[in-house]
Amino acid sequence: MARNLEFLVVALLVFASSCESAIFNPVSESHRSAALELFSPADGSFGSLEETYEALKTCEVLGIEKKPDIRISACASVVDTLLSTSTAVKDLFHALRVNGILKCELNDEAFAGIESRLKDSLNNANSLLDFYYSIGGLVLIKDQTSAVDVLLTDADKISRSIKALSQSDGRWRLNSNNPESSNDAAGKALEALAGVISLASSEIDQSLIATLKNDIAKLFDGVARYDDGTCYFDEKLVDARGHQGPLSASASVVRGITAFAEVTTESLNVRVSTVLGSSAPPLTVKLMQTFISGSKDASIIDQIVFDDPEQKKNYATGGRTKVPIHVTGAITIDSAEIAILDSDIGSPETQKKLDLPGENAVALSANHLQKLMLSFRLTTPSGHAFKPHQDFLGLVEKFYYLSGKYDIQLTVGDSVMENSFLQPLGHIELDLPDAPEKAARPPPQPVDPYSRYGPKAEITHIFRAPEKRPPRELSLAFLGLVFLPLFGFLAGLFYLRANLKNLPKSTVPATFAILFHLGIAAVLALYALFWFKLDLFTTLKALGLLGMFLMFVGHKTLSHLASTSAKLKSA
Amino acid sequence: MFGKLLSTLLISFHLFAILCVSFSEENPTDRRVLVLLEDFAIKSSHSLFFKSLETRGFDLDFKLADDPKLALQRYGKYLYDAVILFSPTIDRFGGSIDAASLLEFVDSGHDLILAADASASELIREIAVECGVDFDEDPAALVIDHMSYAVSETEEDHTLIASDDFIQSEVILGSTKIEAPVLFKGIGHSINPANNLVLTVLSASPAAYSANPKSKLSNPPTLTGSAISLVSIVQARNNARILISGSLSMFSNRFFRSGVQKAGTTSKHEKCGNEQFLTELSKWVFHESGHLKAVNVKHHKVGEKDEPSMYRIKDDLDYSVEVYEWSGTSWEPYLADDLQVQFYMMSPYVLKTLSTDQKGLYYTSFKVPDVYGVFQFKVEYQRLGYTSLSLSKQIPVRPFRHNEYERFIPAAYPYYGASFSMMSGFFIFTMVYLYTK
Repeated sequence: MARNLEFLVVALLVFASSCESAIFNPVSESHRSAALELFSPADGSFGSLEETYEALKTCEVLGIEKKPDIRISACASVVDTLLSTSTAVKDLFHALRVNGILKCELNDEAFAGIESRLKDSLNNANSLLDFYYSIGGLVLIKDQTSAVDVLLTDADKISRSIKALSQSDGRWRLNSNNPESSNDAAGKALEALAGVISLASSEIDQSLIATLKNDIAKLFDGVARYDDGTCYFDEKLVDARGHQGPLSASASVVRGITAFAEVTTESLNVRVSTVLGSSAPPLTVKLMQTFISGSKDASIIDQIVFDDPEQKKNYATGGRTKVPIHVTGAITIDSAEIAILDSDIGSPETQKKLDLPGENAVALSANHLQKLMLSFRLTTPSGHAFKPHQDFLGLVEKFYYLSGKYDIQLTVGDSVMENSFLQPLGHIELDLPDAPEKAARPPPQPVDPYSRYGPKAEITHIFRAPEKRPPRELSLAFLGLVFLPLFGFLAGLFYLRANLKNLPKSTVPATFAILFHLGIAAVLALYALFWFKLDLFTTLKALGLLGMFLMFVGHKTLSHLASTSAKLKSA
Repeated sequence: MFGKLLSTLLISFHLFAILCVSFSEENPTDRRVLVLLEDFAIKSSHSLFFKSLETRGFDLDFKLADDPKLALQRYGKYLYDAVILFSPTIDRFGGSIDAASLLEFVDSGHDLILAADASASELIREIAVECGVDFDEDPAALVIDHMSYAVSETEEDHTLIASDDFIQSEVILGSTKIEAPVLFKGIGHSINPANNLVLTVLSASPAAYSANPKSKLSNPPTLTGSAISLVSIVQARNNARILISGSLSMFSNRFFRSGVQKAGTTSKHEKCGNEQFLTELSKWVFHESGHLKAVNVKHHKVGEKDEPSMYRIKDDLDYSVEVYEWSGTSWEPYLADDLQVQFYMMSPYVLKTLSTDQKGLYYTSFKVPDVYGVFQFKVEYQRLGYTSLSLSKQIPVRPFRHNEYERFIPAAYPYYGASFSMMSGFFIFTMVYLYTK
């Protein structure tokens, strides 16, 4: 957050010396809304007094009317900090700064108490920050109340001990133990010294001030600049307090120098004023110099001179400002035509006039031996020929022996041309020879992202069609037919007068004969059962038992029948 | 003494657990982001972008890109879930980070935002090329557009482009339409056509070209027209997301707050689309939107409850899956009508769109094909901007068992009849043959 503020401050403080600043825009509504967005209080107050000060100061500098209403909570915190006896010098300093803006109610006794504490810490100070906060606090007390005497009696001694921290290159160290110096510290030191001078009860040694001016001049030797000409102080030191960016270092230096310039009689060449969104007084801008860079961009360096001499006291004018000016114009296009040539010098085979910029729909055809020529002339409003930055045909670079229809687009554009255009001209049918074997393949074309992600077409499995079967009636009819031979057999038996008269009459052979035929019937029934439900092994087991039984009764029956028939023959 | 030790251990364990709150399957939004800056000034000049991330709960760790203490991982664990590279001209990162380690970081499923700018360094280009994005090789080239530039008081070389050629995707760019054009000033890139993971989110107008605005054109520019991508995104196969922009300044506070008027139009927008565009894009990149998960994949025979170990051909089955979308804070039912399931063996045998109950459940039922083998239920869901869902579950399919065929076929009745008539004939014949007189 601290750096954000300083960004704004630097934007406002364009220090002159020798820098030509880049294009400088006055503070606008957008800066204000950005600032309000950055400094949005969380539940009615900012985190710390330092942040509160940054927010308030930014609002003040940018002239923001609609401040977040934090006065009550901020003042409470200020009074709390100032009256507490155990507050650090740094917090006292920030509290006094906030008080400077908000003007909280504090009595002079409180100020006196703070003043004595600040002076105590000033006497014990050994680092730059201690000096900075104590002196800064005293200066703020001086500004806020006249009842307390804040004058320093030993100003010379203090300023010498601060000066002891300076380095030969104009930068300063934060304390005597730390060898690293920084620009940020230089700014703080200068501000502290300015405070000492303003608080001094007696005149400060002029030689000291002269050395300081010398230091400031050295400091500016180390100034760096961005590409656009904006100057800044770079900051390489990264200490425990975090990295101080170039913006914050520059802001610190500028603050220090400004403060220093205010208290010394001879003014330093520092410009701090810019247009803060308010209307400028009547002034004339004298063109001092005009640069023409390239042929198109003209830059003008101006100097501001006020019409009213009185205004000079209120508004400082600064340095030289470089303002780039662009001249644009409408370019006329004429004698546009497109032609197909048989050879470089050959007479055009087809030639068509074009209306540029306007609607065109040319249809051409060509083969690989011919040339396409497009010509047009551009003239500036003042009648000169004009060569634009962008003038090319929207054609492909290589054809990869792909015949077919090609669209032609013409784009003519330049940053100074008001009527840049992109115009489809029509199309050309190309008849190209077949690609030789070693020709490069056309590069893959990018796929349309939308087509790649759609759902796929549904797939349903096609089941194998069931085998063709005869109609049930046909099967039943054949079933009937299949039984016909059985009936024929029975009829044959009847016709032949088959009988069972030979069945044994005596009990034992008759029993064996019946058992034999029952056994055969059982085997047949077993077959039927096998077909219905039994598995092979059960069937074989049963068949084995039945077989043995059949063998026995069959042997008995058949041998009985054989002996009976042998008796008959012998008889 | 022992109790004290135990409580210390417990506390440190809790601390560890808190530190481990980061990207996970259940909570896919990134948490810890490393921001590599070229200069700490970027932290303040781009503070609105960073602030929007911080208010959304990201823990940003700002480091200089050449900080010698940089490290992406410690003891084999990544310290960050995402990296923002706002250092377009850096030649070498400090510490242990280099192009290979950054790509490995992405390969392990982490996210990256890369902003290049004019005169981008070789290092940045190399990382971009690995992601399928080729920046214009000319280091001084900028995207110039004499047709759709942004009208500006200070910039007159038409390199400040107002583009509104966005990708059509609500999940990437949010459901609110971006009304104002987006300001862009930087280098263009083309995307590698062979890489189908990279997508152009913001492309230049047909009249744009990429060239050095300060010098005359000697050759036709290599990048012209809508083939110039200004901002591209990549979603890798492991759902790592990358945002590549050719402009660092489009993230800046100045652009976020700037108004815009496109050349040739009279409509002036109070605020350009940059803030909305980049906020939505960063939500997408950091997995606050477009992240899907599929749970409860179930399948069973129609009328049954339990998942079988095997299906028989021609079985009827039910398949269901629940799909949820991460909204940044919770899992919401995902609503779509194009989720598809495949019954797959070498190629899909069945591909069916799932029906949904609008509460995240997707279901369908179909008949197992009459082909046996080892099949897979596959859901391959890839939609623009969403993480891809890839589910597969293996299941064997067997043919009919011998006793599952039809038992009595009418066409075989004559054969049955023939056998039985033969058997009865045989029985009669044995009697008649033996006992006829």
